Amino acid sequence: MIPIAGLVIGILAGFVFDVSVPLELQPYLPIAIVAALDAVFGGIRAVIEGIFNDKVFVVSFIANVLIAAFIVFLGDQLGVGSQLSTAVIVVLGIRIFTNVATIRRHIFHA
Amino acid sequence: MPDQTSGPSDDAEPGGAPRHAHHRHEDRPEPDVVAPDVAATDEVSDETVQDETVGDETVGDEDEATPEPATPVAPPQPFLPGGSRFTPAAPSGTRRLWNAVTQKPDGGQVLVAVLVALLGFGAVLQVRADDDALANARRDDLVQILDGLRRQADRLDDHVAELESDRRDLVSGADTEAAALEQAQERARSTGVLAGTIAASGPGIILTISDPDREVNAYTMLRAINELRVAGAEAIQMRGGGNDEAVRVVASTAFENPRPGVLTVGGKELEPPYEIVAIGEPGELTGSMTFANGVIASMEQDGAEATVDEYDDLTVDVLHEPQPPQYARPAPEDGDDE
Repeated sequence: MIPIAGLVIGILAGFVFDVSVPLELQPYLPIAIVAALDAVFGGIRAVIEGIFNDKVFVVSFIANVLIAAFIVFLGDQLGVGSQLSTAVIVVLGIRIFTNVATIRRHIFHA
Repeated sequence: MPDQTSGPSDDAEPGGAPRHAHHRHEDRPEPDVVAPDVAATDEVSDETVQDETVGDETVGDEDEATPEPATPVAPPQPFLPGGSRFTPAAPSGTRRLWNAVTQKPDGGQVLVAVLVALLGFGAVLQVRADDDALANARRDDLVQILDGLRRQADRLDDHVAELESDRRDLVSGADTEAAALEQAQERARSTGVLAGTIAASGPGIILTISDPDREVNAYTMLRAINELRVAGAEAIQMRGGGNDEAVRVVASTAFENPRPGVLTVGGKELEPPYEIVAIGEPGELTGSMTFANGVIASMEQDGAEATVDEYDDLTVDVLHEPQPPQYARPAPEDGDDE
């Protein structure tokens, strides 16, 4: 219940406060969001499978975001930022699809 | 992930879990043997979720992972037809989700809530910031955009140069036109002076002829005018002091004596004393009048008295009314103009 309320509050806060993203963080925010989405879907799946652990979720959430941002940062330093961010997006996207597919099977049995 | 416990469980949660799920599902085709076991573990993990103790949670996780080494035995018959692969033998995922949503909140969820709130916040920010295309574009895209803009700027510069040269042409054309107009006006003025249609002023002489007996005939007058023209007179007018008639002497001005003692100039009858105003170089004009056996001499022979006075500034203000030519018309030009 609290996480759902947190999500709603976060979205509302995003609409209410017009905060501009710091320039240095701008390239990493989209990747970080996708990584966080991956962690969130993984968490939902863990809940459904009964193995959810909030400590694991917090650690994996933060680690996902940091690693994704770091990979993009590294790619930017190496001059392959766009390719590496594409790679990260692809990997995270596959994971999200897998997790959502499992959630779907559990909920709809199909 | 240096932490031993969180390492595998982190993997197990979003990405690694499919393995467990897969194996579990593969186990299900033999419900007699395996399903109770799976149901038991699921039951246990469900319970642990309800209880929400970290230690139990990891134990449950390990419990999930421990069947893994054993599973390679199972796969030989993974795809038996008619197997209910996705029918959970334990409390369904939906129920677990519902339980998780409706369960009593505890402190551990607050951190999760904060992170999820951060995610929502960041996502909304990013979606709203996406309006600015340049800010999020990568370096290659920026270079490309810059290149395109530079090309566009070049094209526009060319356009500007073209238009500026057009403008220069037009301005110089306007200047030329203005100069031509000025020239034409100047020519019209000088032509007007010559044709007698505008007043003229300048240095010159006044030739005064007192002719009490009206002996000076048209021939002598014409000769005087001719001498003045020879001396370079540019504008001439003639006034008859007797009846105060004045005539601008132009190319078409005729002198005649319709009757003895009557002098008409340009169709107007003038009565003595005559006064001829000529604008030109005063010395030359005077010389043209006073040379031996010249105009003045012949007038004095006729019994008239003629005097020449030089002036630095005279005005010829009598105007000639030009008549449009009735017969003569401009001849067709051969070749270029003039």
